[in-house]
Amino acid sequence: MHSWSLLPRQDVPAWLRVASLAGGIGLGLALGVVILLASGVGLGAIVQEFVLYSFTSSQGLAQTVTGAIPLLLVGLASAVSLKLRFWNIGIDGQVWLGAIAATGVAIADIGPAETRLWLMAAAAALAGAVWIGVPMFLRLRLAVNEVIATLMLTYVAFLLVQHLLYGDWRGSGIGFPVSEAFDEEGERLARLGWGHVHGGLWLSLAVAVGVAYLMQATRFGFYLTAVGENPRGALAAGLPVTFTLIVAVLLAGGLCGLAGFSIVAGQEYRLTQYIAHGYTFSAILVAFLARFNPLAVIPVTVAVAGLFTAGDTLKTFYQLPQATILIVESVILFAVVTVDFLARYRIVRRHGPAAESPAP
Amino acid sequence: MTGPEPGEPAEPAKPAKPAAPALALEGIDKAFDGIAALTGADLAVHWGEVHGLLGENGAGKSTLMNIVCGLYSADAGKVSLDGREVRVRGPADATRRGIGMVHQHFKLVAPFTVAENVLLACGAALPSRTVAAAGEAIAAAAAELGFAVDAHANVAALSVAEQQRVEILKLVILGADILVLDEPTSVLTDDEADAVLRLLRRMADAGKAVVLITHRLREVIDHADRVTVMRGGRTVAAGAAAAGLDADALARLMVGETIGQPYPPRQAEDGNQEPRLEIAGLSVHRADGGVAVDDVSLAVHGGEIVGIAGVGGNGQTELTEALYGLLKPSGGTVRIDGRDASALAVAGRRRGGLRLIPADRYAYALLPDLLAYENLAISGVPLGRFGSRWWLDRPMMRRRAREAFADNQIVGGRPETRTRLFSGGNAQKLLLARELAEDPAVLVAHSPTRGLDVRACQAVHETVVRAVEAGAACLLISEDLDEVLRLSTRIGVMSRGRIEGPFPAREIARAEIGALMAGHA
Repeated sequence: MHSWSLLPRQDVPAWLRVASLAGGIGLGLALGVVILLASGVGLGAIVQEFVLYSFTSSQGLAQTVTGAIPLLLVGLASAVSLKLRFWNIGIDGQVWLGAIAATGVAIADIGPAETRLWLMAAAAALAGAVWIGVPMFLRLRLAVNEVIATLMLTYVAFLLVQHLLYGDWRGSGIGFPVSEAFDEEGERLARLGWGHVHGGLWLSLAVAVGVAYLMQATRFGFYLTAVGENPRGALAAGLPVTFTLIVAVLLAGGLCGLAGFSIVAGQEYRLTQYIAHGYTFSAILVAFLARFNPLAVIPVTVAVAGLFTAGDTLKTFYQLPQATILIVESVILFAVVTVDFLARYRIVRRHGPAAESPAP
Repeated sequence: MTGPEPGEPAEPAKPAKPAAPALALEGIDKAFDGIAALTGADLAVHWGEVHGLLGENGAGKSTLMNIVCGLYSADAGKVSLDGREVRVRGPADATRRGIGMVHQHFKLVAPFTVAENVLLACGAALPSRTVAAAGEAIAAAAAELGFAVDAHANVAALSVAEQQRVEILKLVILGADILVLDEPTSVLTDDEADAVLRLLRRMADAGKAVVLITHRLREVIDHADRVTVMRGGRTVAAGAAAAGLDADALARLMVGETIGQPYPPRQAEDGNQEPRLEIAGLSVHRADGGVAVDDVSLAVHGGEIVGIAGVGGNGQTELTEALYGLLKPSGGTVRIDGRDASALAVAGRRRGGLRLIPADRYAYALLPDLLAYENLAISGVPLGRFGSRWWLDRPMMRRRAREAFADNQIVGGRPETRTRLFSGGNAQKLLLARELAEDPAVLVAHSPTRGLDVRACQAVHETVVRAVEAGAACLLISEDLDEVLRLSTRIGVMSRGRIEGPFPAREIARAEIGALMAGHA
């Protein structure tokens, strides 16, 4: 008789990690196609929208890249905080705060016009950091679980946005709850002349390179790895554990705030109720697929943004609900995590022990 | 292979013909992901005997017994109960067949009472699934075994020895005929150990088969009927009569070769010099308000090892953590080289020259998923030993690691190997290489050889002694009395948070230490 069993591998070789990631994405995409087919989208249309439009047509690619700008920032933020096992489930809230702060600077015309964009960005980063700073402080001081605290603060952030948009910040003479538009001079990120792609692209790429350098090459990056691995062991080795946590988490919040800035200053040119919905999950998806490696976050972001572009088109032309797109996204993440199991365990078939023969 | 599963008897094995051993294992192989843990291991245990199973850490004793209990399945070989070949499918199947095991780490649910624990584990064996029925079963079994247990006591409030008795009670209530005890005496005082060994003898006299897993030679010679010795996954001596066995011969069988005795460090010149470690009135309270460390004062000079003996759980962990800065004491001071370190965190104390070798190296010292060279460098990184703040010099980390591997005979991997893949002994050498790299002022070692085999112990001891002879002060807090006796220049005993002594090592006898450890001096 044969039996199958699972054995944990003593070590997982690099090629197997890569193969499992590729296999997981492949499987996830295949399952995603099945879901879309079941939703009534033809195979040709899927190929057209997913591959050809999102990644090869200039118009589609520009849309993908525009979507990738804030996604790259939140993906990096998620990679930094997840590396530390700080579960930031309130990325949307920090993006909201960044958008609020940037809008506040813009509509109150704070500072000289030449440097106002920088001031907006700084205010956004600061606001994002403050918004994540609250749950971090609660965790460090009172051991409050950050999952709940960050998540709940997202709702607080959105209520704050609604309060402002239905109140003091509502643009005069506009029927909708949106703020005044930003001035064309000095308060908007310049278009690069390719679709809606704007100067935030350079900002987020520069931030990605900076975060990659910080995590891979500096002493702080080493602390980050060690503290994420085992905080107590890192403390016992003499590492500044609390300092590392504070800096990394504030950095993550700041990056989310910057993402909010890039949306209001680069795409919307005003604060609306539709700035930051669903970034938390997408950011976690990006960070997990990139295995928390900031350089890998860049291509993964483009891929996920392409998925969104395709999703938008599918929503428009096939009346698919947003939920279907989210399901496809989750199925891909689920497939990656599941296939990773096969990298960590070995499946063996073996012969049953001789003791199975009947007793005389 | 054969066809479908044959119908095996559901009844527990009972002695059919007296000649057949209660439990026989023949030619057992077991490998984990290609690494052999057992190779053709044999064991035969008869009814009515206490059978000592002896071997170093990693010899395969626990793996073999886990196969008997159905936790692992053998890759090859035969398991027979009472002369009949069987396949134990899992722990529940083992229980049904009358096999019971007391694991080294007890399987008791702490906030529950004794009766509730018995109900949880033995519900099916009770006449009704009620606390009252469990209480009656406990009273009956305790009377049979000759001790008293309060069925309504909370398990968390019981001593280790009492918890162990509850574990044994559970097996008796479940009707186990074959009892396996994994290192039952390792956490007990000498008196408590004697009591449990006498209990095992009574159970064997009542006709049960008892397997006593241990690494203590004396216990086997004094209390077992026969002995099986394992080494490197093989049986090297099967079922020799224990009476009259020579301890040295047994030790040689276990280890495979004679290993020289370690030695305490050469005494430094007399005590004129200032102590390098000074502890004054140190107290630590537990979260529940109990006192873990009670007004401890000690001074350790350079060139000496002060050994603190004691049974685990008497405040050793709290003392270690408070000294190292991981736990905030409720009172007292710690001085390193004359400077007050009481207000410093771990990093500050390390800068002052304090180093730690803990028992649980992966909880306190090494990060299992970091590479070996990263773990070797980690504590030097904040001190600026490997590049600047903005550029971490990984090539230098690797270079230093290669030197450390060569100097300390670290084998079983390269500097780029993930740390958790190293064996316990090599991981501990890795830790020692890091902690002793820069001539430490004070070394706190808490059971530094727990879980290591004899050869690795030897290497750890020699390294520590070398560091002390180079001028370090060492506080050795250990639950292994032999280790304390072998290495220490002075010996103190820790019991219920207090420390008696330290006394000069040659002025205190083993029996005195034992009495102090048990808290009745």
